[in-house]
This record gives sequence, C-alpha cells and structure tokens, in this order.
Amino acid sequence: MTNHSAAGRSALLGPLLGSTLKEWLLLCLLTRGDAYPREMAQELGFALLAVQKQLSALEDGGVVYSRMRGRTRLYSLNLRYPFRRELEALLRRALEALPAAERERFYVPRLRPRKPGKPLVR
Amino acid sequence: MKLSRLTTERLAAVVCDALERRGFTAVLTGGACVMIYAGGKYVSKDLDFVLSPSDRLKAVETALAALGFRAGGRVYVHPELDMAVDVGNRWPVAVGQQILEPPPRRAVSGCYLRMLSATDCVKDRLAAFYYWEDRQALEQAILVCLAQRVSTREVGRWSRAEGRAAGFAEFRRELTRRRSRQV
Repeated sequence: MTNHSAAGRSALLGPLLGSTLKEWLLLCLLTRGDAYPREMAQELGFALLAVQKQLSALEDGGVVYSRMRGRTRLYSLNLRYPFRRELEALLRRALEALPAAERERFYVPRLRPRKPGKPLVR
Repeated sequence: MKLSRLTTERLAAVVCDALERRGFTAVLTGGACVMIYAGGKYVSKDLDFVLSPSDRLKAVETALAALGFRAGGRVYVHPELDMAVDVGNRWPVAVGQQILEPPPRRAVSGCYLRMLSATDCVKDRLAAFYYWEDRQALEQAILVCLAQRVSTREVGRWSRAEGRAAGFAEFRRELTRRRSRQV
C-alpha cells in the first residue's frame, strides 16, 4: 500500500477472491459504474501497477471490460459476464455488511475538477 | 492442407476439429459466426473459440502448432493467414446472462465444427449492442437475420429476460426496415 487512504477499509470477500484489492476494485466499479485505474489506485491507496494488474486479470476473465476515453482506459463491470447478476448480488451483500462510514466511501464520487497528477485529498 | 485456400467455415472446422481431438470442447463464437452465417457480407479477422477445459494451454499450443499457428499470448497467428485464432474466451458459452449448452458438432468437409446457432449468434451480437453500445454489432445481428432463419421470437424473449426490451424494439425496427428494402 502506498498511502494512508487504504487504512480503514474492511475486506470481506478478499479470502474468496484471493485478493483484497480485487474486492475493492469490484466494489468501486459496482458503486460508481465506471472508473479510471489511476483514480482507483489513489483512492484505494495501492500502486497504479498493482491496480492495472488486477484489472487486467479481471478483464481477461471477462469480469470487467474497458474502453478508451481519450488517452485513458475506463473500466466497468462487464454486463455480458454470465455470472454478473450473482456477482453483483454478492458484492451488494458485502457492501451492506460494511460499516456505514466505510460503505459511504465507495459511493463518494469525485465531483471536483482535479488537475492532472494532483493527489486526491478528502 | 493449404489453410489459406480454405473458406472461413472450413478453416474454423479444421481448427475446432484439431482442438476437439486433443480433448477440448471448442465452440466458435463472435464475428466469425457472423461471417459464416451472413455469407461473407461481414469480414472478421478472428476465430474466437470458447474452450473447455481452460487450464491446458500447452495442449492448445500443441494442437494449433500442428496446423502452423504460433502463440502470441492468448491469440494464435499463422504466417499465411489474415485470421488469428483467439482461445482466450472463458467458459461457459453464454449470451448475456443466458448460459448455453455447447452446441452439437456438425460435419464440414471431413472435419467437425461446433458453433453458435444462428439465433444464438444474433443474441451474442445483440449482447454487444445492448451492453457495450456497439452499433456495428447491431448491424452484424441484422446481417445474420437477413441471411438465415432466426427465431426473432426467441431473441425477443431473451432480450426481455436481459431487461433490454427497448434495445430489442430498436433491433426489430431496423430489421423490418432492412427487410422492406430487400424486397
């Protein structure tokens, strides 16, 4: 982990998914619809490379999909994934089981304009 | 056998047959099915196979190397072919949320080919249209409908089950318009 923002998050499905980061990435995509790897890396407190690696593995498995938005790759849950409904149900259960304060953090969208390279600070 | 002289359907059958002889169940999906069903009105550069089991990559490599394909990640290329073989699609065979039984094999010039039915091919393309807003996929679905017998009733049932009644209505409108132009 590269900064403090990952502290204070619980991992409920990490043992099942084999990765805490994978769980948080999926929760991010579930609550936000789509997100950029750099944005998720900063918010979750992981190195960009680690985030890209997990997203790449999820994309290879058809769980998420990406498309280019300008020069950046934007990720979403893959609506064509055959187990999407079951996965979303599981993720929602995990989200409900989180303490309210932690749950809210997944929902908070970044609404403020942000200069390129400027870190996210709440 | 000169692979570059084969039709897409025959080439797909040769590849499918080689994989199934090694113990895989290999199902052709994606744009190559459109190419076969639409009689060449659409050109695909990939033979996309959904493969089971998925953990025997060495056996895939051996089967395809015997045909002259070389591995480049999950995609296999052939020096004489424009088409690549992509075996990176994960089991199960599915169209949106509907999981399909593997389609039966049919003989194609001495080989066996397993591919999506025309109706499931249309669903597969519409899934890309519904979920990825891929309008080229809508066009592909229409091309298959114009060339093959497709159960639009079943496609409608599936679309509603996917929660995409509005998308299906758009597909029907476009198909009706194109059919009227064909007459």
